[in-house]
Amino acid sequence: MSTQVTKKLASAWPGTRWWLVGAQILVLIALALGLPFLLHTTGGSLFLFSALAPLLVFVAIGIVLWVAIDSFRKRHSLFSLESYEPDQVIIRQGEPGDCAYFIQSGEVEVVQESDGNQVVLRILHAGDYFGEMALLSGQPRTASVRALTPTKVAVLGKQNFLTMLQMIPSTREDILTTVQERAMRSVRLSERSSKSSMR
Amino acid sequence: MGRAMALCLFLFPALTGVEAYGQDAGAAFHKDLVDYYGSHLLLGILIAGIVLILYNLVRYRGRIEGPFSWGFLLTGVVALPLASTMFGMLLVFDKAEKVEFCGSCHAAMQAYVRDLTNTRSESLAALHFKNRFIPRNQCYVCHTSFGLFGTVQAKIAGMIDVGKYYTRTFRVPIQMREPYRSDDCLKCHAEAVRWVGRHENVKDALLTGETGCLLCHGKEHPAHILSE
Repeated sequence: MSTQVTKKLASAWPGTRWWLVGAQILVLIALALGLPFLLHTTGGSLFLFSALAPLLVFVAIGIVLWVAIDSFRKRHSLFSLESYEPDQVIIRQGEPGDCAYFIQSGEVEVVQESDGNQVVLRILHAGDYFGEMALLSGQPRTASVRALTPTKVAVLGKQNFLTMLQMIPSTREDILTTVQERAMRSVRLSERSSKSSMR
Repeated sequence: MGRAMALCLFLFPALTGVEAYGQDAGAAFHKDLVDYYGSHLLLGILIAGIVLILYNLVRYRGRIEGPFSWGFLLTGVVALPLASTMFGMLLVFDKAEKVEFCGSCHAAMQAYVRDLTNTRSESLAALHFKNRFIPRNQCYVCHTSFGLFGTVQAKIAGMIDVGKYYTRTFRVPIQMREPYRSDDCLKCHAEAVRWVGRHENVKDALLTGETGCLLCHGKEHPAHILSE
């Protein structure tokens, strides 16, 4: 089930990571506007520092607040429903994991990127789940997941996910078995791809 | 990281020439503490914020990885910029009152500033400047009304001027919005012993606004003598 794909992970909505980078660049500009104001105060430098810089700062704070609230909401989500269009990225490899996803309808593909190559690990359907590995390991997401068809997922926050594992032993065993299988398959795939790249 | 921030906050301002701009050169009794320490503190906050954000961008690249990255992010994007905005606003009000600042905007004002600081000029503005009748911020003191509302009016008018200057919507020749108000002379001179002695005949008329200071002083002793 290993397929080389060339299509980039496209999404109309950039990940929270890029929003945070943007917010920090806005603040960087706002702080930099303070230096000419301090070192050579003119009408222009004073106007930029007293009018434009606060505006940039408040926009940046708004972005960080939005990311923080969104992160908190996801972390404590209790099966809230989210919809994704085809090609939309649901989770990104390398980002921190704060929730697990249970597919209600539609189809998604799990894509792992290594050494510039993107490999489709598996296709998941309604009834499957993903995003659980990062919650259990505490590591960043090991793969990206992209919707192939219009998809609805139920989102379970990290805290509720871990509580569910504690409260329902049968679910815990089922999920741990799935995690083990997926991890072993990922290792086999990465070994195979490293051998092929050595050849 | 902590040591670097401490260095930024306390040592860097001392290495820069910020004190030269923080206060007019002069004796200690002319030191404006808000301006002096505010400039240093603001520079420290700006440098610390820039260093912290660059560190964040290089180290985390927008990722949130645990409480430390949240701490750095909130300090760099929320705490330090808010502090710089608050201290900055204090300094904005303070620095906007200086003669150099008034003269920095319009080329047309340079002639007025030159006359003001010309020790040979006998204009009212120059007399007030060279005799230190007004010790600091001479443009601001004469051209704003008394009290808090005078300051607020001056700031609003100044921001409108800046807007007009940068959008090139001003009209030449530059003119005062309204004739100079006698109140802005009287706020200092009224009831002074010397003033009362010399204005016995017109004192009441001046205080009630029936006549104005510049009716006599405008021609005999103009506020500014412009050579060009």
